[in-house]
Amino acid sequence: MANRAVEVRRRSRGASSEAPRAELRTPAQLAWRQLRKHPMALAGGAVLVVLYLLVVFAEFLAPYSLDFADRERFFHPPILPRFADSQGVSLRPFVHGTTLADPGLRRYEADPTRRYYLRFFVRGEPYRLFGLFPSDVHLFGVDPPGRIFLLGTDQSGRDQFSRILYGSRISMTIGLYASAVTIPIGLLYGGISGYYGGRIDNVMMRLAEFVISIPDFYLLLTLSAVLPTQVGCTTRFYLIILILSFIGWAGFSRIIRGIVLSLKEQEYVLAAKAAGLGDLRIIARHILPQTASFVIVVVTLGIPGAILGESALSFIGFGIREPCSSWGNLLTQASNLPTLILSPWLLFPGLFIIAAVVAFNVFGDGLRDALDPRVRAG
Amino acid sequence: MLQYIVRRLLHLIPMLLGITVISFVIIQLSPGDFLAEMRLNPIVSQQTVDQMRRNFGLDQPLYVQYLKWLWNAVRLEFGYSFAFQVPVTWLIGSRLLNSVLLNVALFAAAWAVAIPLGIFGARRQYSLADNTLSFVAYVGISTPVFFSGLFLLYIAFRTGWFPIGGMTSIDYEFLPPTGKVLDVAHHMVLPVIAYGVFGGAGLMRQMRASLLEVLRQDYVRTARAKGLAERVVINKHAVRNAINPLITIFGYSLGGLLGGSAILEIVMGWPGIGKLLLEATVQKDLYVVMAALVIGSVTLVVGNLIADILLALSDPRIRYD
Amino acid sequence: MGQPGARLAVIGVLIAAVPAAGPAVAQMGRPSLPDVPNPKVVEASDVGRFGGTFVVSSISDPRTFNLLVAQETSSTAPLGYLFESLAETNRVTLEVEPNLAESWTVSRDGRTWVFRLRRGVQWFDGRPVTADDVVFTLNAAFTPGVQSSLPDVLTIAGKKIGYRKVDDYTVEFRTDQPFGPFLRTVGGIAPLPKHRLEAALRQGATEFNRAWGINTPPRDLIGNGPFVMHSYAPGQRITFVRNARYWKVDRQGQRLPYLARIVIEIVPNVDASRLKFLARETDSYAARPREYAELRGMQQAGNFTIFDGPPTFGGDFLMFNQNPAGVRPPKLAWFQNVKFRQAASHAVDRDTIVRQVYAGRATPRYGPESPANKFFYNPNVRQYPYDLARAEALLREAGFARGADGLLRDAQGNVVEFTIATNAGNADREAIGNLIRQDLGRLGMRVTFAPEAFNTLVGKLVGTFNWEAMILGFTGTIDPHNGQNVWKSSGSLHAWWPKQERPATDWEAEIDRIFDQAATTVDQQKRRQLYNRFQEIVAEYVPLIYFATPLTQPAFRNTLANFSPAPGAFYDIETIYYRTPYR
Repeated sequence: MANRAVEVRRRSRGASSEAPRAELRTPAQLAWRQLRKHPMALAGGAVLVVLYLLVVFAEFLAPYSLDFADRERFFHPPILPRFADSQGVSLRPFVHGTTLADPGLRRYEADPTRRYYLRFFVRGEPYRLFGLFPSDVHLFGVDPPGRIFLLGTDQSGRDQFSRILYGSRISMTIGLYASAVTIPIGLLYGGISGYYGGRIDNVMMRLAEFVISIPDFYLLLTLSAVLPTQVGCTTRFYLIILILSFIGWAGFSRIIRGIVLSLKEQEYVLAAKAAGLGDLRIIARHILPQTASFVIVVVTLGIPGAILGESALSFIGFGIREPCSSWGNLLTQASNLPTLILSPWLLFPGLFIIAAVVAFNVFGDGLRDALDPRVRAG
Repeated sequence: MLQYIVRRLLHLIPMLLGITVISFVIIQLSPGDFLAEMRLNPIVSQQTVDQMRRNFGLDQPLYVQYLKWLWNAVRLEFGYSFAFQVPVTWLIGSRLLNSVLLNVALFAAAWAVAIPLGIFGARRQYSLADNTLSFVAYVGISTPVFFSGLFLLYIAFRTGWFPIGGMTSIDYEFLPPTGKVLDVAHHMVLPVIAYGVFGGAGLMRQMRASLLEVLRQDYVRTARAKGLAERVVINKHAVRNAINPLITIFGYSLGGLLGGSAILEIVMGWPGIGKLLLEATVQKDLYVVMAALVIGSVTLVVGNLIADILLALSDPRIRYD
Repeated sequence: MGQPGARLAVIGVLIAAVPAAGPAVAQMGRPSLPDVPNPKVVEASDVGRFGGTFVVSSISDPRTFNLLVAQETSSTAPLGYLFESLAETNRVTLEVEPNLAESWTVSRDGRTWVFRLRRGVQWFDGRPVTADDVVFTLNAAFTPGVQSSLPDVLTIAGKKIGYRKVDDYTVEFRTDQPFGPFLRTVGGIAPLPKHRLEAALRQGATEFNRAWGINTPPRDLIGNGPFVMHSYAPGQRITFVRNARYWKVDRQGQRLPYLARIVIEIVPNVDASRLKFLARETDSYAARPREYAELRGMQQAGNFTIFDGPPTFGGDFLMFNQNPAGVRPPKLAWFQNVKFRQAASHAVDRDTIVRQVYAGRATPRYGPESPANKFFYNPNVRQYPYDLARAEALLREAGFARGADGLLRDAQGNVVEFTIATNAGNADREAIGNLIRQDLGRLGMRVTFAPEAFNTLVGKLVGTFNWEAMILGFTGTIDPHNGQNVWKSSGSLHAWWPKQERPATDWEAEIDRIFDQAATTVDQQKRRQLYNRFQEIVAEYVPLIYFATPLTQPAFRNTLANFSPAPGAFYDIETIYYRTPYR
């Protein structure tokens, strides 16, 4: 994350300067103190923590595997655990079995005579937690042939809740990967261009415009034809995202350059120059930190932007491809009216997208204030 | 300044050359060709397909194709579309105005809504109104356009208040001039809402962030200390400075004035160049894509130029020479 | 009645035969018109009332208004209102019946056909439609460089068909050998006005290909069909108005068509098309299988009827690459092994595909022809019910065995693994691919499913041959002869191993012989038998593993009359009318 990068850079720079050690820890501490003053930002942060926990424990939390499909129960509405039915009340939550009554209207009929009790820490399909520890324990489940589909199923009868969990691993990290590449390059490039101005600026900006004008659609097409299909859909997509990020920095660098252009005339920069500081040092130490609030806004819009961008790519068939899942590619299923009207639960991936985006924004807002030295002083 | 502008425009030439060469190569290297669909048609023979490749000049070496294209492009002849067999200029021209019309409307709406709301939000930071606005903006930003477009079409269907997409109604030809204007305006409502929420939300957040930044500057504090009216402080001092990054964005988004609304056009059935270009791109309709790239690059560069000029005008500290 | 999701070009040979007609009545007092002594009588259930605007939607713009070079439905459909073919297919019986040509005769050896044109038929500008126009159209089609697919169907065993003008209203055709699908093929020719297009053709093929492009003023498009194009707004709509010189009448002798105006609204996608129909902005809609049940429930409120339509002609399939230029030995040996392919076919869960992908509105399919093809469909071909045990047995017979790790290996011990490709964005094919991948996985195969961009896919299919397995679909037409490019081993679309110098297998050789023989057989019964055998061979040796044939479900506004379900179109555009005044 770029805001983290800014913070890290500050710290390392602090270490190299002669600033007293006592001040070293204070920016982070003060930032935390500031952040605590904004309940909305904290709530956003909390949502992000939860979402990232989902990412880490996806296999454990998901009752079914990514690939599990119940052919008898496609487009199945959500099955939620219940405590009572015509047979009476039960303290243990359970679900009913269902059968397909009408494939046309996708109507399912519950069989109230059969209860399947919800069980915790059940053994199911094997997986490796964190990719390391083999396990087959899932947080919850019901005994087959009973099914627990918390958020319904898709057209192949795959559990949407499980697929959203697996998809979060792609959706919640895509922006991080992309920003990790684009932000540092863009900052440095825009900073140098804006600071030096004149001929250097001119050449650098023309180069950036050049990079922007490269038709990324064909680049994608060419890349996806060149990249091997066997490496698996996820790896493949990361490769493409990475390569595209190496082009994506250009737009960002132009905006940074615009800000730097006006910042460099400010008194403190002139003062730093007069003090004989090196150019790169001025850019890195005195100018770029001033763009922090803007960068944070850009990043907090950029990470969700990547989530949305991935969904748009999925929409035209270039995103995460079947059988892998991401929130965007799950949501694409809902972009078809007849499907959506009869199966509105296909919108759930959209709710996750919105939750993540809003959380990023709210958190980013708070973080901007927290990181701003002027606010801190006041 | 004039000299600067001329120089920038001259830079356009090597840049366009570079972009067109690279694009040409990348497009031609990408797999498949325009005739893919035809090749899958059982009744079309290989000979016919080969013949068409020859007609389109696709059998010639890459550099020959490029040089031919370039020679024509210099004379403002952008060739014929493979798919439509009409001049590319006519094809794009037949829809360009529609796209510009929509984009200007979207642009105006988004800015007209976003700037005041951004200022409002910054002045009452963390008030209930600000939080509500922010939340709406977040949701707006996080909704894919293809999705909000579809949703609005559905609303139009349920309420019957708006037509289901398109730009004109069936009887458009027979309407009097005022009727025509009203008809188009009626069709424009939904796209403007769809884009206003999406595009305007991002803009509003930028404005708010930028103004908040400025409001913390010493000179604002000074101005307030001097006892200037808050309205004067905000309008005369703060907003004028806060708007700088937005001006850059303004200039850059001018570059997107033609293609910026492509997805929206596609979802809402607006007869602009969006769908045309998307299909041309997917089908590798080479000369249409190349023309679109040239137009795109020119508007991008000119937009950047305008952004730079505006920046210099609004901030006297910035000079170019 | 397009197949959902299938965006491949859809072209029948009967390009201009959108308006079809019922059998003419020849009883008491033949109707006649002042200018047309023997107008074609279009049979319909009611004598209609005149007026009204029929609004339909299309999801793409036309690409050209030049009928000869038009390839895809978005161009041929609007042009179908403007032009008429020599003969046409009856929408109910699917038999060929007179149209622009009022009669024809065939010589005893089956090689010479004489067509007599209907007198008094006029172009929109008042000039008569004559034999010169027919000959001109064929000349244009055969001009090297003209992008028409007509020569492809009018070239028999490598020799182009012979034709000449006998007199102003008579054209004679000659073939070297008798040509089975002659009537459907030549009858499908729709003449263009010589006096309007001659100049363009004289300037060369390129100029002719560009003539009557979509930038032509609509009034310059001179045809002879029921409607005249009035205006075209790119990306928005095409408007047609009634042709007052039309040469067909109803059974009371009134000049058709009934409708005053047709509007094709150009919409961005099927969802918009559906919404426009439900909002009553358009009058017909080709529903997707999944919508059938839902729309049925909305019929009353929406004042429309949704029909249980005929099956589609085309169909999706899975195929394995058998081309040595594309696949290396261990895999090539598997894919060329009939038992391997039969096992794969047994592993296709067609019932689930029918239920899941087509919401029950489809039938399992095992052969190359669709049951929609009443003429040539053979239901008695080998079937492959979903049966993994049977599939395993077949694989064992072919020398494959499962190891302790559950993976399937061939006799040499190679693990069976391969990639199935399809075009990304086609939800139906992606769902089918996932099902198949899972089932093949249960057989111990290690299968990757990789949807790719359409262009990339086709590039591999016809260019590099660098693919292993693929899910795809071809469109179909009534006469199997039109599929020869796919089925003959020399064909460029013989997808599993195109352009073979000589057939690689006996069964491919037999299919080659069948197609050659059927092409030169005029007796339609004999041809039917030949093509029956062809379908049995394909089902037996499964080069293409078919899944299912989806049904169509057209929906129409109830205010429209004179239409009825039929194996062909549901209505003739000339006789459709509004029961109540509307628009």
